[in-house]
Amino acid sequence: MQKILITGIAGGQGQLVTRKLLQRDRGYQVIGIDRRPWENRPRGVGMTLTDVRKRKFEDIVRRERPDAIIHLAGVRHFKAHPAVRHEINVNGTARVLDFAIAHGVSQVVVLSSSYVYGALPENPYYMDESFPLNSSRTYPEMRDLAELDMLATAYLWRHPDITITVLRPVSVLGYHMHSTIGRYLKRERVPTVMGFNPMIQFIHEEDLTEAIVLAVERKARGAFNVVGSGAVPLHVAVREVGSQTMALPEPIVRPAIAQLFRWGLYPFPPRAIDFAKYQCTLDGSRFRAATGFAPRFSLAETFASVRG
Amino acid sequence: MAARVESLAARRKARHSAATATPPATRAVALRPVPALPPPAPPRRAGALRGLLRDAADELWKQFNPDIVSQINDEVAERLTRLPIQPNEYGYDAWGMNIDAVRRALVVTTLMYRYYFRVETFGMENIPDGPVLLISNHAGQIALDAAMIGTAMVLEREPPRIMRGMGEFFLPTIPFVNLLMSRIGSVVGTPKNCIDLLHNQEAVIAFPEGVRGMNKLFSERYKLQRFGTGFMRLALAAKCPIVPIAVVGSEEQAPAIANVTQLGRLLGLPAFPITLTFPLLGPLGLLPLPAKYRIHIGKPMHFEGDPDDEDAVIGRKVQRIVDTIQGMLDEGVSQRAGIFF
Repeated sequence: MQKILITGIAGGQGQLVTRKLLQRDRGYQVIGIDRRPWENRPRGVGMTLTDVRKRKFEDIVRRERPDAIIHLAGVRHFKAHPAVRHEINVNGTARVLDFAIAHGVSQVVVLSSSYVYGALPENPYYMDESFPLNSSRTYPEMRDLAELDMLATAYLWRHPDITITVLRPVSVLGYHMHSTIGRYLKRERVPTVMGFNPMIQFIHEEDLTEAIVLAVERKARGAFNVVGSGAVPLHVAVREVGSQTMALPEPIVRPAIAQLFRWGLYPFPPRAIDFAKYQCTLDGSRFRAATGFAPRFSLAETFASVRG
Repeated sequence: MAARVESLAARRKARHSAATATPPATRAVALRPVPALPPPAPPRRAGALRGLLRDAADELWKQFNPDIVSQINDEVAERLTRLPIQPNEYGYDAWGMNIDAVRRALVVTTLMYRYYFRVETFGMENIPDGPVLLISNHAGQIALDAAMIGTAMVLEREPPRIMRGMGEFFLPTIPFVNLLMSRIGSVVGTPKNCIDLLHNQEAVIAFPEGVRGMNKLFSERYKLQRFGTGFMRLALAAKCPIVPIAVVGSEEQAPAIANVTQLGRLLGLPAFPITLTFPLLGPLGLLPLPAKYRIHIGKPMHFEGDPDDEDAVIGRKVQRIVDTIQGMLDEGVSQRAGIFF
């Protein structure tokens, strides 16, 4: 019997991973922590209301001695103060890894993102895991995500006795998930940059859930890109989820977004618009080879899952 | 665009049959079912400028023979159905190529191919199936040589193949240009993109002269500039053949008499060529001269070795390509009747 601790268990991804682990019927015991309660969670799932920054969290790891930790807790929106975001995402991850090492946890899965590679004009299509994490060059608000990723990869080499898995999934869409890209595409008018229409890869939330569980079951060690069924241009994605694009010339869209973001009327910092200009597309072959992962949801099904 | 071409063709046809008897030459075309005329456009309110532009474009369109345009469109569309590539369910391939965009671009380049540059292609059978790196000389500020080779590969090869271009690094930053580039199958020229395309069994073209070739002066025509060596390392890594190509004609299309590099830098361009017509005639001066193109495609060349060999070893292999293409160029130039015919 394997005991698995999930941080951020009450979030969309946490709930999906919990359900998938229980469905596996391999006697997984699932426990979790979150700041939000999960009222109607499946029977047998133990949950504690706490936070990776709290002392209580270390107590849980020490007492429960989980075999694996799936670390999904983190702040992905930009409403929080950058210092809080950094504290939770970077220092929180460091604490999870430290406790795991101190208390004999054999594997930690850390959820990073494809965005850490950054959207830059010289990006090749299909960057592999050896590609530098360039996001902070143009997108400082996301620096903490790249730091989280690099921190986990550094632990990977420093602590060869523990299996650390860093997953960098492409844009996630699904019914339960409130992903960044989902919130962007679901706007009534999606602001884009006139004359640009980059290819964007998508993965269905169920496929990402399967990837996370496979990473645990196959003990995949290292950093992996996780890629879904393919890529389409941004405008096609906007149309397919039932929204409309609002293409504006770059000299207008940047200051407009900067102002709206400052007033709290637009949820993404102005630099994020680079992802609507240049592609940040990943090569997922390494993860496929390591775990046998294959996405089950087509692009059409992925878009349909968020269509209102 | 396709619908637009058809409706324009139909309009033209309606005008044509009302005014004159249909000449026998166009009868075969007229026999095809003519799509119904679209209902009259609602009066234009917004966008007076756009309306004006559209009228001007329509007028320009009518100056061509739209029958030829729709014939070419059908021909190209038929040939594209026989490509060995699989776009996804939304019509895009993994590198952002869109088959409809390719078709539209090919209608324009085929007109240039047949009626402007009157291209003759020799040795198309030398381009094998499967992964291949095409290496050619490069000239003329705008990559029309690449466009003509790509058009030839769709029009003249059996089965047709799409040529995948490797673009300059600044191209993705230019609005709309980046879209044109990726939709017709070109990518930024990074080694990873090239290797991925070759692994996907594609035909990739590279111009190792690069910007040096595009900006060569008229006095340097058909003298190959220094070749980069990256393409040879990629061919060795991908274990694919190299097909040498010599384009004769492109190096006279825009005779540059000087190159003011400093001015180009000021404008953020890699160079600023002075040709007989540019910048004298403004943007119109960028129009190439109607030199006759002759594309000579050589036999595939196979190389073996370590892609990480030192420059001297790679350089010797590159020199064999340079010598082959230079020989083909010299032969092509000496054999042709003239620059424009």
